[in-house]
Amino acid sequence: MAELIAPIAGNVWKILVAEGDKVELDDEMIILEALKMETPIYCDEGGTVTAIKVKEGDAVNEGDVLAVID
Amino acid sequence: MSRKQTPLRPYFEKMPEIGKPLREGEVRRSQANVELIREQEEIIARELERVKNAGIPAEKVHSRGGMTIYDRLDYLVDEGTWCPLHSLYNPANNEEGCTGVVNGIGKIEGKWAVIIGFDNKVMAGAWIAGQSENILMVTDMAKRLNVPLVWLTNCSGVKLMEQETVYAGRRSSGAPFYRHADLNHLGIPILNGIYGTNPAGGGYQGISPTILLAHEGANIAVGGAGIVGGMNPKGYIDEEAARALIEGTRNFKGKVPGRVETHFDQTAYFREVHDTEQGVLDGIKDYMRKMPAYDPTVFRVAEPAAPKLPVEDLNLILPANQKRPYDAIQILARLTDNSEFMEYRPDYGREVFTGIAKIDGFPVAFIGNRQGIFPGYPDYAEGAYPGVGGKHYREGLIKQGEFVTLCGRDNLPIIWLQDTTGIDVGDLAEEAELLALGQSLVYSIEQTELSMMCVVLRKGTAAAHYIMCGPQANNNNAFTLGTPLTEIYVMHGETAAAASYARRLVKEEDAGNDLAPTLEKMNRMIQDYQEKSRPAYCAISGFVDEIVSLPELRRYIQAFTGANYQNPKSITPIHQMLLPRIIRG
Repeated sequence: MAELIAPIAGNVWKILVAEGDKVELDDEMIILEALKMETPIYCDEGGTVTAIKVKEGDAVNEGDVLAVID
Repeated sequence: MSRKQTPLRPYFEKMPEIGKPLREGEVRRSQANVELIREQEEIIARELERVKNAGIPAEKVHSRGGMTIYDRLDYLVDEGTWCPLHSLYNPANNEEGCTGVVNGIGKIEGKWAVIIGFDNKVMAGAWIAGQSENILMVTDMAKRLNVPLVWLTNCSGVKLMEQETVYAGRRSSGAPFYRHADLNHLGIPILNGIYGTNPAGGGYQGISPTILLAHEGANIAVGGAGIVGGMNPKGYIDEEAARALIEGTRNFKGKVPGRVETHFDQTAYFREVHDTEQGVLDGIKDYMRKMPAYDPTVFRVAEPAAPKLPVEDLNLILPANQKRPYDAIQILARLTDNSEFMEYRPDYGREVFTGIAKIDGFPVAFIGNRQGIFPGYPDYAEGAYPGVGGKHYREGLIKQGEFVTLCGRDNLPIIWLQDTTGIDVGDLAEEAELLALGQSLVYSIEQTELSMMCVVLRKGTAAAHYIMCGPQANNNNAFTLGTPLTEIYVMHGETAAAASYARRLVKEEDAGNDLAPTLEKMNRMIQDYQEKSRPAYCAISGFVDEIVSLPELRRYIQAFTGANYQNPKSITPIHQMLLPRIIRG
């Protein structure tokens, strides 16, 4: 199981995957928005998205879990 | 047995490797980015084709047995070395669609030169608006790089219908004659291949260089033979005057003055006369072989080597989406020899990188913006906000200023890779002295005698575009390149619209008025900013000297570096350089 972690604080701008989706290494999964910049979060490890812990518009802190991949 | 080596081998032979190959997933997800870049490249390609086809068709010149400027350059310049500049430049929006001169840097007989010629398809090489500024940029470049200037003169003189746009003024079409005198005075030779009829301004264009070589049909003169009517005492042309003019023109039998029989046979201004157009170019090649140039091994610190990581990756790494960060070191790794880089103070001023690399075995300096977010930085913000890549903060400005100063001491040409949104603003930034530190960097650049080259990778914004050796650094900036992703403006259009109309919105709302008219103005302003900051606009307006595809950047950097080391005016013995020692500690 791998967790997708927010590297910075910001707002969830876009969620590009859904629970149950198969993802591969380096796929773009979630885009955070902070300081007028988009920070894409990429998949570190291929697998199936088992949980998405945030929704678009949420504010997140650095270190928050955004999604889980199994 | 004799033994040989490159200087300061322990520092330069093998420098730290940077960058890493792109993973399959990175390549996969960047395909859309490649398409967006290609769209911009196609726009630029169409513009280039339009300029190349300006004036009469090339076939018409060929049918007369002549060569176009493009044919001449193709024959003259060593294959694979031509780096065109100012191709789209047309700041006055001439009806010709160009400024009537074609120029760039290239090698002739193995030696770098700045090369410029009149486009003989466009009004026989007439002086047209914007042209003198183009020529002055070129003469500045020859002066900065200290390499020969090669002219292919074919100039019919002033476009008389628009004389007010070219003739008078400090930087008008007469100024290049003074620049030629200046270059000669500085010991920078100007070779001139002369074709066609060159009266008046064309005559001075012909006479002002160092070495004059002529085609057999060429002439240069104080004035042309075409002025047959003289002054008309009436002050206007009526039918009677027109009849006299027609008669005079029909009966005019005089030859064009300043022909070869005068300026070769009598005055001996022309060193050579050739009966073919190619012969003139062969003559220039002969003279180029005689031009001063060190053997590259005098200054090389290692054997030339291509980057280990492919330049084609650049289209996958640099995001077209201006809001996306990227690893700037991944860009650098596709530009430097062996993908190596010796970084100066990597832990200080994290928003910029500074350091030494090799280009074709020559030592050079690179400075560029890093991207991303830097939590806990800058120190002076004390956590009030994080640092953002592309912006400049106190440490980064100090680091750049001291690095530039040390490069001046070590005679290292600098290549700037700009992608900047500005200098930090607000009370904390003012207390941290950013205003003075920005100008201090300008001072550091100006007090060196270095050549610098600037690449605006994506954004060139606010004062940061100036302080990172943008084209405003007239005495140091040899040329500035844009890419298919370049945007240059004082600030983003949305920011500008907010700054311009925020108070108006408040007033309208307080008065109970409809906001729509103001919003329309704001959105029109945003649209205008977008249109006037795009790559083609930047090139046409002269914000950059050329738009170059990302994989082509290294070729221009090689030209810049090679030209700098061809005949440097000042030398720091490699073994006495300070920067590599400071970096190693």
